[in-house]
Amino acid sequence: MTEQIPEAVVWCLAVGLFAVTVLLVRERGISARQRRRNAELGDGLRARDAELRHLVSARLPALETATHQQVPAVGLLDIRLTDTEFAKCLDAVVERFAGAVEHARLRADQSAKAALKASMRSIQALANEQQVSIAEMQDRHDNPGVLSDLLEIDHANAQFGRRAQAIAVLCGSWPGRQRATSALVEVVRGATSRIRDYRRIRINGEVDIAVRSRAVEPVVLAVAELLDNAARHSQPGTTVEVTVQPVHNGACVVIDDAGVGMDGQAAAHAAELLAGTHAVDITRLGDPPRFGFAVIGALTERYGFSVSVDTLSPYGGVRAVMFLPTALLTHLDAASHAPVPSAEPRVPTSAAAPAHPRAQTHSPGTAPTADPAAPAPDPRPDAAPAPDPAPEPEPVEATTPGGLPKRRRRSPRQPAPHPVPADDVGGRSAEENARRMGAFARGTRSGRAARHTLHDDEGNSHE
Amino acid sequence: MTPRRRPTDRLVRSYVVTDGRAHPTRNTLDLVTLLIATDDLPLTGLNPEKRRLMELCRPGALSVAEVAGHLSLPVGVAKVLIADLMDSGHIVTRAPIPAARPTDARILQEVLDGLRARL
Repeated sequence: MTEQIPEAVVWCLAVGLFAVTVLLVRERGISARQRRRNAELGDGLRARDAELRHLVSARLPALETATHQQVPAVGLLDIRLTDTEFAKCLDAVVERFAGAVEHARLRADQSAKAALKASMRSIQALANEQQVSIAEMQDRHDNPGVLSDLLEIDHANAQFGRRAQAIAVLCGSWPGRQRATSALVEVVRGATSRIRDYRRIRINGEVDIAVRSRAVEPVVLAVAELLDNAARHSQPGTTVEVTVQPVHNGACVVIDDAGVGMDGQAAAHAAELLAGTHAVDITRLGDPPRFGFAVIGALTERYGFSVSVDTLSPYGGVRAVMFLPTALLTHLDAASHAPVPSAEPRVPTSAAAPAHPRAQTHSPGTAPTADPAAPAPDPRPDAAPAPDPAPEPEPVEATTPGGLPKRRRRSPRQPAPHPVPADDVGGRSAEENARRMGAFARGTRSGRAARHTLHDDEGNSHE
Repeated sequence: MTPRRRPTDRLVRSYVVTDGRAHPTRNTLDLVTLLIATDDLPLTGLNPEKRRLMELCRPGALSVAEVAGHLSLPVGVAKVLIADLMDSGHIVTRAPIPAARPTDARILQEVLDGLRARL
């Protein structure tokens, strides 16, 4: 029995050793896995740290500088992190940040625009007021020296008003003043009035097209901006040629300058602004800010005309073409009746005076329109005391809006009136005339007598 | 007194009409100087205001003040235009000898008839 003990001990030891070995091996495997996992976790942590640093240093700044149309170009640094919860959280942070940036930008833009609009409106009102005063002074002063100064002030004021108006339009305001339907050439000349170098503008082309009243002011403003650009970017000695021409679907105003022209990038930028499809960020117009194309873009989008500047002028500069669709246009002769209703004179209608086309109206187009067959209204009632000079070849007097009679000019070669027999003067017999004269005389006599007695009465009552 | 005409908000400013000039090329114009258009010169090359001025003066004589009123331009501006047109020969200012205006026989006849009936 005793020799069995060592054997048992050996067995026990062997089993124990085996167990220890197994345990050791297992422990080793576990610790290796643990180490690997530790390393992985350390890597992951480092990657996340790096990712966070990347977020702060690259992705968010990229969002800040990007304009709102662009997608953020900077993504995750480590592709292993894609689709993890961490990456989703990062994306959420980026989104929130982008939203906040956008919101702040919109609010800043809106408040800047509102402030600018309000101040420009008051400046515009002042400019208009000043313009009225200057116009009054021009009417009042006859001295050429004074007039010369007034013209200069007027010119400066017109430019000043245009700048204020342009900025107001850019900030979402309406162009302002309501004007009467005007000829297209007058509209272009009106635009010429508002730029510095108006003497260099040559206007060619004669069309009988007029711009409807609601589009006059915006078209004037847009053409003025184009003309200002053209004159500003060309040599002082050169002229800016403006051609007005009718086209199938409307009319075109073509502005050619002999200036420096635009390179491809500038032209593309200009085309983008002129299309007017994007809201203009007024803080991004450069320093000093360039309002011109942005203003035209705002106007084209609102009123439906179009402007392109991408063609080369034959003089080497830029050719700007403004296209006005038929909806904004009308015909001149139809329009010229409307604005001057009070200026229509009554045309002489006696049989002795032939229908003579007199151009004594404010508008040349309206001269021969009065019907020569219409009877001249007799201003005097039948019981009028004086002999009625109705058949006199002198026309019935027109009156001014202020109520004063208008002098009619005498035509140098007026045919002599035919002698008319006394019997049918005014369709009355000699007896009838005599009765009227008698009534007149009686009337004046009784009137004087009444006045006399009235005087006496007053004198008595005072005593 | 009639209410003063409020100067309308002119689309084309005065300096564009005169090309920036305020001094007429001649100093002989007065408010009541009569203008007579000459018929034979073409109107090409004139600006719209000058053309309208010519159209106003074509049927007969008009004074400077009337022309300015019809064009709704300040008198000083109208004078510049008129002086230009005189230089180019479109307008003369010497009034023609006025044709003697025969006394209207019909009015005299009516007065005579009336007086006869009274006496």
